[in-house]
Amino acid sequence: MSKNNEMVDDLVAKLKRRQLVGSSTVAQATLRLLIVVISKSNWTTCNQLLTLVKSVGQRLITANPTELAVGNIIRRVLHVIREEFREAESSASNQNQSEFHSAPLTTSSSMYNLLGETGSTPDDNVQYPSSLRSNIIQEIREIKDELENIYDNIKNQASLQIHSNEIIMTIGRSKTVEEFLKMAAVKRKFQVLVAESAPSYSGQEMALELSKAGIETTVIPDSAVFAVMSRVNKVILGTHAVLANGGLVAISGTHMMAAAAKHHSIPVVVCTGLYKLSPLYPYDEDSFNVTFNPDSVLGFEEGDLIEKVTVTNPYYDYVSPDFVNLFITNQGGHPPSYLYRLIVENYDPNDHTFDL
Amino acid sequence: MTFKDDNFDVVANYKSLLINSPELSMPVAAIESLVELIKHSKATTMSEFMLSIKDASQKLKSSVRNSISLSAGCDLFLRFVTRNSQDVADFETWKKTLIIRGRSFVEKADACRYKIAEMGVPFIKDGSVVLIHAHSRVVSLLLQKAAENHKRFKVFVTESSQTQGGIRSAKVLRAAGIPTTIILDAAVGYVIDKVDMVLVGAEGVVENGGLINQIGSYQMAIVAKAANKPFYAVAESYKFVRLFPLNQYDLPTYNADTLSFQELNVDYDSKLNDDGTVTRTPTASSSASPSTALSQTALHMKTSEDQASQGSNPLVDYTPPNYITLLFTDLGVLTPSGVSDELIKLYL
Repeated sequence: MSKNNEMVDDLVAKLKRRQLVGSSTVAQATLRLLIVVISKSNWTTCNQLLTLVKSVGQRLITANPTELAVGNIIRRVLHVIREEFREAESSASNQNQSEFHSAPLTTSSSMYNLLGETGSTPDDNVQYPSSLRSNIIQEIREIKDELENIYDNIKNQASLQIHSNEIIMTIGRSKTVEEFLKMAAVKRKFQVLVAESAPSYSGQEMALELSKAGIETTVIPDSAVFAVMSRVNKVILGTHAVLANGGLVAISGTHMMAAAAKHHSIPVVVCTGLYKLSPLYPYDEDSFNVTFNPDSVLGFEEGDLIEKVTVTNPYYDYVSPDFVNLFITNQGGHPPSYLYRLIVENYDPNDHTFDL
Repeated sequence: MTFKDDNFDVVANYKSLLINSPELSMPVAAIESLVELIKHSKATTMSEFMLSIKDASQKLKSSVRNSISLSAGCDLFLRFVTRNSQDVADFETWKKTLIIRGRSFVEKADACRYKIAEMGVPFIKDGSVVLIHAHSRVVSLLLQKAAENHKRFKVFVTESSQTQGGIRSAKVLRAAGIPTTIILDAAVGYVIDKVDMVLVGAEGVVENGGLINQIGSYQMAIVAKAANKPFYAVAESYKFVRLFPLNQYDLPTYNADTLSFQELNVDYDSKLNDDGTVTRTPTASSSASPSTALSQTALHMKTSEDQASQGSNPLVDYTPPNYITLLFTDLGVLTPSGVSDELIKLYL
């Protein structure tokens, strides 16, 4: 048990110090930790396990609330746990009292429940089969596999989205978009414009990677995005997180690019793994943003100027869902209006907030 | 043959319920009186029983002018009864469970509103200005909850001249310590730039995620969209109705009289009469300020011709889903497309 706590503390510290950043790495680290916690701890009932996972989750989330992938992974795991317990329970009660309990027609949240019986909370007195623990771990390992193979499922759709001689625009460095474009380049010949994404200049790194893969790549300054937008066929974006309404939390500059695309009626496609999909809503536009060290915007060399101005360096943009035309996820392409469905399928409505 | 269920009058029961507890909303009251009907029902066969319920809900629907939220409640209950009617072992015990379920629904209906209020609170930002329309219990509750959570915000409420609901809202909100200003229905466009979000209740939420609400909601949504402000609808899930209106005139409340043009000669005569007064008033009292003259004529107009035209004015309008940012319901915060999913789950 204390070993577990040490591991949790370790991850919490890493998240706090931002030694661990990027939704993919964070998600995988969270999942590894949860597997250990679940397999090594003592629990017998559903509620015990849920509370255990939730308490770990709470600590990880407060360590860095802007890494939404942490919360998403924890919700996925909670969902799996609930499902497994429900299954174990129904098979146990099936043996006891035959067919009296018909299978629930609907998922847990429904209007029908208003009139129907109150949602049955898992009964703590049921004898669960010993295989339950291994089943849960097995299911979580499947999520882990999904995370590891996430790029494969996304990039396989590349040749459907990108056509020959198209001009694609993107911003910042996203591993998902990089893989997507590289895959498309195997079959098609096209041009990519990358906005340099000041002040982090991650767009320049992206351009370098793409040109290494033999894609015709041009770096443009962020300020030129609107100017060249009229020639572009498609905007392909990566994102840090996708919110429940289909809004994005993506590298700053994305909103500007999406707005320019909308002005010219150019389709905006977002490539993302489903682990980035969060059931939270953007209560206000700054809620999931972070501001970085402003040194790269206005350095200390400019000493006397620095005293006179306030410099901020927000890292993310919130992009509202009406700027996005399509999400390419590891489960296929979806319009923003369909995301609520994916949320219902992947998370339990009780887990949207972690109230212990 | 009609089913006169032993001198039990559903409509009277429904009306007395509403009068006795003003906090009760129409669909809940409808379900409560249907449950009451089951209690009094002496039906001996299944089909007789079902017919009597159907008959009663039909009566309820036709008893009021604006039946949208009422029919949502009736349909939900009917659906529940039919769905459960397949596995009936014993008729009497089944009737009893129906009554128990119906009762617990009425109790839960209140909890619904609290759940919605809690969910909506985080959307209200500190220091923001909220525009609301007329009076809706659940909207008021949401704002009260937000105030309890020490959010500081101000509210504009439209007076909603037909029902004076805005005045009722303002009273409730001011009592909760929320700075509230009543504005004219016509001033929505004027204030929209000062507003951070629009919040409206609902009479019914239709299948495509659109909204049926007190007249004026639609224009509010259009103004909000034009000004790029979020437009949130707040509705309990028992107000979801199986309607698919394509325009304003598809609603069941619409009839040939609604906003019809009056007989030309009759109207023309009364107009002439009015014009006479209008021209005479300023000459008679030229010293009076123009505003008093204006209000006098306005008053006069109201007495002479408004009676007839008020009657044919619509009570509700339909707001298409593309104007709605999100819906706060007890099933969670939904996008308009999420509504149809819930309805399909129920009526599949």
